[in-house]
Amino acid sequence: MNLALRLGAVLFLLAVWQVVAWLKIWPPVFVPEPVAVWDQLLRTSTEGYSGYTLAGHLLASLRRIVLGCLYGIGGGIVLGLLIGVVPVLRTLLNPLVTFVRTLPPLAYLSLLVIWFGIGEEPKVWLLLLAALPPVAVATADAVRGVHDDYLNAARSLGARPWEIPYRVVLPSALPEIVTGVRVAVGVAYTTVVAAETVNGVPGIGGMVRDAQRYNQTDVVVLGIIVIGLSGLLIDYLLQTLDRRLVPWRGRHI
Amino acid sequence: MPSPDRRADETPAAIELRAVTRVYRDRPALGPVDLAIPAGEFLTVVGPSGCGKSTLLSLVAGFAPPTAGTVLADGAPVTGPGPSRGVVFQQPRLFPWLSVSGNIGFGLRRLPKAIRKERVAELLAMTGLENAARLKPYELSGGMRQRAAIARALAPRPKVLLMDEPFGALDAFTRERMQGEIRDLWRSTGVTVLFITHDVTEATTLGTRVIALAGPPGRITLDAPVSEDLREKVEAAIRDAASARAGAAS
Repeated sequence: MNLALRLGAVLFLLAVWQVVAWLKIWPPVFVPEPVAVWDQLLRTSTEGYSGYTLAGHLLASLRRIVLGCLYGIGGGIVLGLLIGVVPVLRTLLNPLVTFVRTLPPLAYLSLLVIWFGIGEEPKVWLLLLAALPPVAVATADAVRGVHDDYLNAARSLGARPWEIPYRVVLPSALPEIVTGVRVAVGVAYTTVVAAETVNGVPGIGGMVRDAQRYNQTDVVVLGIIVIGLSGLLIDYLLQTLDRRLVPWRGRHI
Repeated sequence: MPSPDRRADETPAAIELRAVTRVYRDRPALGPVDLAIPAGEFLTVVGPSGCGKSTLLSLVAGFAPPTAGTVLADGAPVTGPGPSRGVVFQQPRLFPWLSVSGNIGFGLRRLPKAIRKERVAELLAMTGLENAARLKPYELSGGMRQRAAIARALAPRPKVLLMDEPFGALDAFTRERMQGEIRDLWRSTGVTVLFITHDVTEATTLGTRVIALAGPPGRITLDAPVSEDLREKVEAAIRDAASARAGAAS
C-alpha cells in the first residue's frame, strides 16, 4: 500500500513532467522530455560522456566522498575526544572548529586549489574539512555528556585510566557520534558536487558542469536524478549502520 | 604507630573512616564522621535526601577524596576506586553496548578466558540470569537490570559491596524480591555490604546494623545493631500488611 502510494507519486511527477514537455511552453533546452533523459541514461551508461561512463562518473564522486569522509570522521572523532577530555585543548581548538564549521566549504575551495592544485587532493581535502567539524563537535559534546556513574563503574571494576576513553567514553558517546557521522556524510555529499566544479571530470558534478556548458539539459537533469537517488541510498545505508551500531538509541537503560 | 586502644593482633575493619569530612565548594557535605565497618557486616545507612549519604559512599568507593581525615579499606588508605570495593548505583548503569555476560565480565578482563567464562556463569546462576546471558541491557526488565549490575559489581570478588539506593527506582513488588535476594547474596558470599537508603523499613529489615545520618553536613546521629528479633517482627508486620492488602483486593 505504502509502496504503491510512493510509486504512484513518482509516476504522477513523471506524467506532469511529460505533459509540460509536450506542451512546449518552454523549449527543450529548459525542459527536456523524460524520454530524452532516459536516452541519455542509456547513452552515458554505454558510450559515456566526457570520456567516462555514468558509472565511472558516479564511482569517482563516491570514491572522493568515501575518502574524504573516512579521513574527516577519523580526524573528527580523535579531535572531538581530545576537545571533550582535555580542557586546555577545548579552549584552544573549540573556536577554530566552530569557525570552520560555519564556513561554507566552497569558501575555502579556492585556497585548497592554490595549495593542492586541481587534482584529487583538493577535492578530498575539501570533503575532509566539510566532514570533520560536525563529527568533532558531536563527539566533544557526547564525551562531556557521559554520566559519571559509567566512568566510576568502570574504575571500580579495575579499568585503568588509559582504558577509559576507548572502553567506556567512546562507546557511551556512540549514539551522538553516529548522528554526527550522518550529518558529516550529508555535508560531504552536497559538497562533492561543488568540489567538482574545478576539473571535476570524472565525477558526477563534473559531468553536470560539462553538460551545462554545452546546454545539454537532458544530461544535467540525468545528473541531478542520479545525485538524488545515490544520496537516498547513502542515507539508507547510514540508517542501517545506525541501527546496527547503536541498537540502544532512544531506549531507557 | 597503631592507636593505643587497638590490639596489635586485631584484624583491620573492612572499612574505616577516621574524622572524615568532605566539603564541596565551601559547602560542608559530610562529617566529621568516625565509622568502622567490620568484615561481614551488612550496614545500612539511612537519612533524608541531601544528608550526605551518597557523599559517604563516594568517599568509601574512592570516587572523591575526603577533605580531611582518612578512609581505610582493609587497613590501607583509599586512594581511588578499585575492584576491592564493588559499587551498585541507583540506576543500573550497565554498559548498553555489552551483553549481560559482557557487563558481568567487564571487571574480569585480565583473567584467562576459561576462568572468566566460568566466573560469569557462576554469577549468572547466582543472580538468576542464566537465560539472559546474551541479552542486551535494554532488553531486560528493571529488576533484571539491577541484578545484572549487582552481578557485575560482585564479579571481581570485592571485599565490600557499596550500594547507593539500588532499589529506589524499582516498583514495590520487585523491590521486595530484590531485598530478599540481596540478603541471600550477602549470606552466601560473605561480602561486607554498605547499603544506602532513604527508606526506614528497608534500612531496618536488610541490615545487621543501621546508622542514621542527618545533615548537611552529614553526621551519624544513630548507630545501632539490628536484632534478628526486630527484623523478624518488622518482616512479619510487612507480610501481614501485604496479605491483608492482597485479601482486600481479591
